[in-house]
Amino acid sequence: MASYPKDVIRDLIDGKLPWQTTKPIMSDFKDERRFEIYLEILQERVPWKERILLPVGEHLYIVEKGAARIVKCDCGHEFGPYTENWKLEALVYVRDDERSLDEIYPGARKCDPGWMELREYYCPGCKAQLEVEAVTPGYPVVFDFVPDLEGFYRDWLKKPL
Amino acid sequence: MARKPLVLGIDAGGTMTDTFVVDENGDFTVGKAATTPHDESVGFLESAADAMSYWDGDGRSLYPELEVALYSGTTMVNTLITRRGRKVGLITTKGFEDDVLMGRGMQSWTGYSYSDRIHAVTHVHPSALVDRRHVHGVTERVDVFGEAVIPLYEHEVEAAAEELLADGVEAIVVHFLYSYLNPEHEQRARAILAAAIARSRRGGDVPVYLGSDLRPVIRENSRLNAALIEAYAVAPVRTQLEKVERAVQSRGYRYPLQTVLAYGGLCNIRYPRLHETLISGPVGGVMGAKHLSALTGIDNIIVTDLGGTSFDIGTITAGYVPVEPEPVLARFKLNLPTIAMENIGAGAGSYVKVDPVTKKVQIGPESAGSTPGPVSFGKGGTTVTITDCDLVLGYLNPDYFLGGKQKLDKELALRALKEQVTEQIGVDVYAGAEAIVRMMEREARDAIRAVASARGLDTTQYTLFGYGGAGPLHLAGYTEGLDFGGVLTFHFAAAFSAFGCTTADYQHRYARSVHLGLPPGCDAPAKLAVAEAVSRVWSEMEEAARAEMANEIAVAREIRFTQLAMVRYGGQLSDLEAVSPAPRLRTAADVDRLIAAWEDLYSKINSRVARYEGAGYQIFELGLLASVEKVKPRIVRQPLGPAEPARAAHKGTRNMYWKGRWQPASLWEMEMLRPGNRIAGPAIVEHPATTLVVPDGKCVEVDEWNFFWLR
Ligand SMILES: [Zn+2]
Repeated sequence: MASYPKDVIRDLIDGKLPWQTTKPIMSDFKDERRFEIYLEILQERVPWKERILLPVGEHLYIVEKGAARIVKCDCGHEFGPYTENWKLEALVYVRDDERSLDEIYPGARKCDPGWMELREYYCPGCKAQLEVEAVTPGYPVVFDFVPDLEGFYRDWLKKPL
Repeated sequence: MARKPLVLGIDAGGTMTDTFVVDENGDFTVGKAATTPHDESVGFLESAADAMSYWDGDGRSLYPELEVALYSGTTMVNTLITRRGRKVGLITTKGFEDDVLMGRGMQSWTGYSYSDRIHAVTHVHPSALVDRRHVHGVTERVDVFGEAVIPLYEHEVEAAAEELLADGVEAIVVHFLYSYLNPEHEQRARAILAAAIARSRRGGDVPVYLGSDLRPVIRENSRLNAALIEAYAVAPVRTQLEKVERAVQSRGYRYPLQTVLAYGGLCNIRYPRLHETLISGPVGGVMGAKHLSALTGIDNIIVTDLGGTSFDIGTITAGYVPVEPEPVLARFKLNLPTIAMENIGAGAGSYVKVDPVTKKVQIGPESAGSTPGPVSFGKGGTTVTITDCDLVLGYLNPDYFLGGKQKLDKELALRALKEQVTEQIGVDVYAGAEAIVRMMEREARDAIRAVASARGLDTTQYTLFGYGGAGPLHLAGYTEGLDFGGVLTFHFAAAFSAFGCTTADYQHRYARSVHLGLPPGCDAPAKLAVAEAVSRVWSEMEEAARAEMANEIAVAREIRFTQLAMVRYGGQLSDLEAVSPAPRLRTAADVDRLIAAWEDLYSKINSRVARYEGAGYQIFELGLLASVEKVKPRIVRQPLGPAEPARAAHKGTRNMYWKGRWQPASLWEMEMLRPGNRIAGPAIVEHPATTLVVPDGKCVEVDEWNFFWLR
């Protein structure tokens, strides 16, 4: 089974791997220890010590904090238990009129704000943009992803959580 | 005995260069050497010397005798794939500058394996051959009827030329919309470019290519791709070919070096549309089959080529070879008529892997090249291949692979097979190895079945030819359960494609888009108008062919013309190429005869009930084949001898694993079998370059041509 050195996985995460190398990795079976190496690299990059259990976005991770499993930003800001929607604790900017939408999609490219709005979520700690939703006005805040952490570790990684 | 070699075929692959030398009696010898990409002539001379060593000669004695040296290789494709071509500029109709970036949607996944095709995340457009900054749009417009509706803005061409030359482009392509209907704007642009190039400090060293010259056939993106590939990839290859030519000529070869065209023919390396030689690998086999078809009278053939990396399938119906008008090459769609072949990514070198999650065994699509090769080569290959399974099952002789030049390590193969595959899925190593081989054969069989049903062929009316290095090894397996008129292989199976190239004539093909219709029940004057239009195009093509071939072929020989028309029923979306029964259409009756010839072929291929005279007929393309005959290998018919092979041909027995049990197979030397001989399975017939497996219940018979029938 394929396995790749850590610096290849690092370049893969950073999008620095040339396409000729990336494509065969994508097309092959998932390599051994990919997830482990992947977590190792992420862990080395964050300034805090809590163990990363699973990344859930470009800046967000589910981490182990004492007995709790919480969502944490790479800046250190903590959102709360992963089973609750972190967006409810984030800063939000809603583009729901012509003027604000025009900043992103000028002229005829933009949507009709009567039918669709953009909701941008930001980290209260570092102000990084974490997620953007495109939904009809009045639609509840989308809860992107509640992973089955126990099942994933037990059945797929075959190791204790 | 002194031999007189006549034809030298060279097939330079990515890793190995094969040579095939044929003497005046049709005997042949095969050589191999590593390909030398920096200067291909080095690898090829070595390969030819290797071939001659079997005839107790060396490279020196070969060249002065030769009538034809012909070369096919993958350099041009590699130049394309690795994007190491020339810096090309493009001048096109204003508003269409981004065509080079957009390409065709299917170019983002074509050539992918099935699993990649359905995973859109792997889809990506091939990077353009022209830097977008070197694409200049100029104002002009020719409409769909060929009328110039906006004149060419010449000052824009001049400005574009100045900029491109200042940017240091090495070639310029001019490609205007509908130029195949009216080339005037492109020709005027060429004149302006010529003046600009002459004025520039660089002198006349920037070649200019016109879309209307290269491929005056409908479909803008495909003909743009063809023109760009010619400008981008051909020059470096021509340099390589010239090196090879100098190498053979300096050793006494008296003629120009020849190469192989995608539609089956030879041209010399100075041919002005050398991109037509891009797809030539599997074409050789079909040409070889066609040659044998004419020789033996077997005129319905399914050809199958099982090599190291792929399994290729082609068909010949009533001597007719179907042509694919718009193939895909290096993920570009281009309108270059090519012998229609289908292939799947399964060959002797295909990797065998087990999905760690589902435990499902997968064969290919990746494969081991010849270095490091299969595990059993012992050259550092670590992933199990089909060849390793063949060895473990006793089909391959560890001491006689490539005539013993490559020893095979059975223990190494067995260990890797256990570790990587059979222990993973919990089966016995031999049962597992056989299941894998049968699985690969089933994939090949399904592919044959798919081609037969897609082309509407009744396999019982066809003879299957099996070749390629691994063809005879799996022939019994991949034909099992399919009902053919006969199953045939050859002692030169491993070099069949190279053999095929040596059977071709010099041939150029010309094509032009037209728009002619014969509505249902149309009258004689309408037919006469079509006849005149068709004859005019054919005349022009013949003139072009005469001029080009006179420049190319030193020996003055008669040019034979075959006039072609691509005909379809009114409203159909694809056409079929018919050979005209007459060289010119002069009367309404001539038109009827052309249509009748087409309809006859149409009903042979699609069955009679598919005819639909009520829709009338359309002709969208006319073509011309210009051929000049050349010397060919002579395959001699011999009287049939006794069924019992000579005692010396029998090499002993070896156990082989077939259908779940070990059985003793009698072992034979292929080169010592003679016409009339018959061997009952279980048997293995060995040749330095290939191995024929004859299972229990089957037998092999050698016919009067020294061909092997598996019955
Ligand atoms: Zn943050």
